[in-house]
Amino acid sequence: MPDKEPNKGTNFVPEIDLTEQDIYEAMKLIPGYLDITPYDCKEVYLVAYQQAVERLSREVTAKKIMTGKVTYVQTNTPLAEVAESMGRGGISGVPVLNQAGKVVGVISEKDFLSRMGVTEPMNFMSLVASCLKTKGCIALPIKQQKAEDLMSSPAVTVEEDATMKEIAEIFTSKNINRVVVTDAEGRLLGIVSRGDIIKAVLYRGKS
Amino acid sequence: MMMNYFRKMTGTTHSPIRVSLAEIIWSWLGGFLGISAVGYLDYKFLEGSDLVLIIGSFGASAVLIYGAIRSPLAQPRNLLGGHIISALIGVTSYKFLYPYIWLASAFAVATSIAVMHATKTLHPPGGATALIAVIGGQKIHNLGYLYTLVPVGMGACIMLIVALVVNNIPRTRQYPEFWF
Repeated sequence: MPDKEPNKGTNFVPEIDLTEQDIYEAMKLIPGYLDITPYDCKEVYLVAYQQAVERLSREVTAKKIMTGKVTYVQTNTPLAEVAESMGRGGISGVPVLNQAGKVVGVISEKDFLSRMGVTEPMNFMSLVASCLKTKGCIALPIKQQKAEDLMSSPAVTVEEDATMKEIAEIFTSKNINRVVVTDAEGRLLGIVSRGDIIKAVLYRGKS
Repeated sequence: MMMNYFRKMTGTTHSPIRVSLAEIIWSWLGGFLGISAVGYLDYKFLEGSDLVLIIGSFGASAVLIYGAIRSPLAQPRNLLGGHIISALIGVTSYKFLYPYIWLASAFAVATSIAVMHATKTLHPPGGATALIAVIGGQKIHNLGYLYTLVPVGMGACIMLIVALVVNNIPRTRQYPEFWF
């Protein structure tokens, strides 16, 4: 059975697990005699889907998919406040703005973990482990520090007209989860996360 | 490579779904009325004349335009174009190749398939229309190129009108999907 699905284009095309049975069930819902076999119908669907994803990745820009009102901190914000606002917002990364309002860096959970002495693998359980092995809080060494001491700088930014495809490529090549969207002067406009891209692919047209 | 060649003969998928009872009834009704129309007009007005309005390939068209109305093969462009183009090719084949009926038949059908493809008018009964022009007997041969108009063109038009009327009655049916 020739089960090779066409797979061209970007490496960002989400796989869809579409079976012939799915097609068969769908064809049942359409009244009248459909002059196509389920296999051919599936083939047409898969190629069309890939093309749609390709097209969207070219047409959809950062402006359309970014989260607009994002939490941010200033370079001189104490880390306690940074952590607090990240915790409150349930977010894993915030942009850091200087006095002029330009994005100069990003602080993510990983930045905290690395400064708190957590070595690879950098995740929450590693932090718990090192906490349990230490007297006192291992956050103490960075207690007096400010956002600018911890942030990853420069921030990875794109402008509003960056395409979804370009952003997806940045995620993959730099192995990061979010990019900051700025205007030409570097002022904060929003953030695009991996989740925003998935939402754009899955829910476009439903809203 | 040889294995792959034979494996292709085993098929890739299962057969499509059986249609609903309502669909079967509407298909029957369409087929009955469509063939009645050309058959009755033929009997009423052309009986005893040199003309004829009903030919075998209309039975095949009826399957498509009343039984598989969503099919691209069943759309007006294909129904009219396929029949008329094939009729022209069939009559021409007979005129040039009549001493060799087998050759005229093969050439008519094969060329019809090719030209229907090229003109996006593929309609399987067209192959029969071309073949009938060659092997349909003296009465058909006497028509010459008139064959493309009556019975072929006019018969196809009558069947198309019946398809438009009948196929759009049920809520779940719509015909055509496109015209040209």
